[in-house]
Amino acid sequence: MTNKTSILALSRRRFLGGAAALGGLVATGWTGKAFAQEPEKPAEIIVRAWGGSWVASLQAGVSDPFTAATGIAVRHDLTEDNEIQPKVWAAVAQGRVPPIHINWDTTTNATKSALRGITEDLSDLPNLANVTELAKPVGLEGYPIVNTYGYVYVLAYRPSAFPDGPPTSLQVLLDPKFKGRIALYNDGIGFHFPAQVAGGGKLEDIPGNMEPAWEFIRKVKEQQPLLGEDPDFTNWFQNGEIDLAVTISTNAREAMKNGIDLAWTVPEEGSKFETDGLWIPKGLPENELYWAKQYINFALTKEAQQVWLDGLGLPGVVPGLTPPEGLAGDPSYPTEPEDFKHLIRVPTAIQVEHESEWFSAFKSIMQG
Amino acid sequence: MTQPLSKSIVIWAMVIVVLIVLSAPTIVVLGASLTSGNIITFPPDGLSLQWYAKIAMAADLRNAFLRSLAVASICTLIAIPVGTLAGIALSKYAVRFEHALQIYLLLPFTIPLIGSGIGLMLLFGEWGLLGQIWPIGVACCVINLPFMIWAVTASASSLDPDLELAAANCGAPPVATFFHVTLPAVLPGVISGSLLMFILALNEFLVSLLLTDARTVTLPVQIYNSIRSIITPDLAAISVVFIVCAALVIALLDRLVGLDIFLKSK
Amino acid sequence: MPKSAYLLRWRVMDGLEALVAAIWPRHFHRALPYVMLLPAVLLVLLLVIGMIQIGDSSARTLDRSTFLPSDFYTAGNYQRIFTDGLYWSILWRSLLGSVIVTALCLVFAFPYSYLMVRTPSALLRKFLLIALFLPFFIGQVVRAYGWLIILGNQGVVNEMLGLIGVAPIRLLYNYPAVLFGLVQYMIPFAVLMLAPALTAIPEEMESAANSLGANWWRTFIHVVLPMARPGLVGAGLVVLTLSLTDFAMPAILGGGSQDFIANAIYDQFFRTSDQGMGAALTLILVGVGSLLVGVVFTLFGAGTLAMGRDRK
Repeated sequence: MTNKTSILALSRRRFLGGAAALGGLVATGWTGKAFAQEPEKPAEIIVRAWGGSWVASLQAGVSDPFTAATGIAVRHDLTEDNEIQPKVWAAVAQGRVPPIHINWDTTTNATKSALRGITEDLSDLPNLANVTELAKPVGLEGYPIVNTYGYVYVLAYRPSAFPDGPPTSLQVLLDPKFKGRIALYNDGIGFHFPAQVAGGGKLEDIPGNMEPAWEFIRKVKEQQPLLGEDPDFTNWFQNGEIDLAVTISTNAREAMKNGIDLAWTVPEEGSKFETDGLWIPKGLPENELYWAKQYINFALTKEAQQVWLDGLGLPGVVPGLTPPEGLAGDPSYPTEPEDFKHLIRVPTAIQVEHESEWFSAFKSIMQG
Repeated sequence: MTQPLSKSIVIWAMVIVVLIVLSAPTIVVLGASLTSGNIITFPPDGLSLQWYAKIAMAADLRNAFLRSLAVASICTLIAIPVGTLAGIALSKYAVRFEHALQIYLLLPFTIPLIGSGIGLMLLFGEWGLLGQIWPIGVACCVINLPFMIWAVTASASSLDPDLELAAANCGAPPVATFFHVTLPAVLPGVISGSLLMFILALNEFLVSLLLTDARTVTLPVQIYNSIRSIITPDLAAISVVFIVCAALVIALLDRLVGLDIFLKSK
Repeated sequence: MPKSAYLLRWRVMDGLEALVAAIWPRHFHRALPYVMLLPAVLLVLLLVIGMIQIGDSSARTLDRSTFLPSDFYTAGNYQRIFTDGLYWSILWRSLLGSVIVTALCLVFAFPYSYLMVRTPSALLRKFLLIALFLPFFIGQVVRAYGWLIILGNQGVVNEMLGLIGVAPIRLLYNYPAVLFGLVQYMIPFAVLMLAPALTAIPEEMESAANSLGANWWRTFIHVVLPMARPGLVGAGLVVLTLSLTDFAMPAILGGGSQDFIANAIYDQFFRTSDQGMGAALTLILVGVGSLLVGVVFTLFGAGTLAMGRDRK
């Protein structure tokens, strides 16, 4: 409870800071030119976001300051990224106004929408001048999406199950001691590439030869892993069902904040590094499109990123951010080239093309 | 009539098993909603009403709940005439291609909800109906319609065809026969069917997920979507509020018409 | 005052009769059942039109360089499904599961409905009815977390087993757990379908059989069960079709390795963005489900659907 209030109090302080920052920004003039011919403001814009602490961080860092500065309310649509996709695709295909203005999405999913040609180009956002390489989607023309931060699929573990120190290798998943006590995402996302290394294969062979990964995953299957989503992992750790899980660091951190005994590491095989981003579907009225772009532009300011990503515990795309407490130097918070040495990045284009094969190969093993 | 002991034992043993299995999660959720911690546990981590206070304050939940009530009401209002007429027709008359028709009317159950949801989303999108509440009510009515039809046919068994003939012979015109003889006979089925339709529409989330947007989101969809990294006890508290509402409605129904109407025809 | 109201009602009824007679002459009455069925048929037609759209996308494969469906028709999706062992095993798991769940539901719903219908105590009847309705109000997701607390490794059941010295057993995240969850979810439906059919069995029939010397078990087998057949068929069909197409229980209680067809459909529509594959799987499931319903109708009759006529 005390924990909860302190987070809220902090958000409030940061919210004010963020609002002030945006005010300052308007004054310094990036909207100066637009101001004269500023299109009509909509009453609200709708931003799709993940629920729980994810939307709370976005609200504190981006949405509330945006509302304070522009007077436009921000409504959050908490439909999952996977589940909003067919709704947005159908809306664009049928020539309707899409149900959301901005999609906060995984870069992989966003790339599918970009390839389908339903994303607005964001190349003209002024704040793109100040972002790092990470913000640019690789292999796509212009900026159909803007990446806003990166994250790592860490190996989360229960410290009490590892009295001799944290696990160092994914081979620990095969330890008979942990039979039935490990968890993976139910499509294997975040695990395919490290498994390729753990199975003795090379990352360069992706996607041509993934047999080492499947070989390793078949061995993991013998260990009867549980497969689920983020809330499942938290519950399984809480209820003593599992000792190890490959999961996004943000969710592990959220569970830890709520008093669950948990820690994480990047194993020697490496961990998958990914990005999330923001994009705008086609079919919005001109004025709403303009303000949706302003929202994304604001999300790329240092002030917005600082508050938003403090909440998520993730490294952003603007230089000079202060790491959240306790995350400086943490493997889940890479900032220097050195930090990326143990992280695996596979080009989004390859992932998008082969993802469904990988999912179904993973499913075939796990459902067998 | 006295029952043989062995019969009573068998029946009661099985009924008790069912009662335990039906109520166990309810009791756990009830307990978990009273926790003073941040995570659903049982027994609760200290007692507090904080999660109730939290949901009482949440305007978005209240709005979503009101929308769910609207959806459920629309669904039930459509289901009553449609299901009653179809139910009476099926139980009273021999129609041609009867099996094919019955298989057709069971399509809402044989089509997986995701398929129904995608199909209706495309259809309503094409017709420009998305973004409103009432199409969600229609959708909930379609996917559960067999319940309404079957509830009516099941109680039509107590309808003696001779009675209708008798009424007609005494000179009662068809509309009078329908309102005075046929309808009262199937009324228990209509009431239990509508109650079921209402409850199911109130709790529907998979099809609604595809038909709602941020402005028309219903309570079950809101709950489903708000579960992300951890599942917080406010969801348990919402369930308990739901149960209390249900209990009130059931009590009211009992006062008004008597619960026995579900089982006894008269 | 009541008198004039009464007269008004008469006048309204007369008007109605005249109206009906005018637009619906007597010799049309053979069409009456079809007219009564029309609204229901039209409502379900919404789904059928949706299925036609689904059918169209099922015949198009996904181009992964544009994420658009092909603009020509192909049987590619169906070929992939029929040649991939994964889908066969998932289909088999769903079919077997729904049959087992149906059998268990009928076995346990029967005594519950019987007691509810036959008990002379109105209070007990109300209690049983309320116990049946309340679980509806806890969403499937929250309910599943309830089961985790009860059946988990550190759950109530395992703690009780621990008291008598039994090591924790994994009760969740396997096939039986999914079936258990489905049975728990479906029993209220089965009871509600079964109870009216049992009400229709005259209690005197049973007493008569008893007085002729049949014990309760023989009475049950030879008198009650055959007369309850319409209700059993009705309840069975509801449980069978709903569990065949269920999504939530396998997803939550299966631990990710006990998918039913609906879960595979979900994956294609939402996870891999392959609407064509999802559509093809949907149509196959509808086909299998409808075939199953047809077989049940042929073998056992239309159940509660035709009860009014059976007794003529």
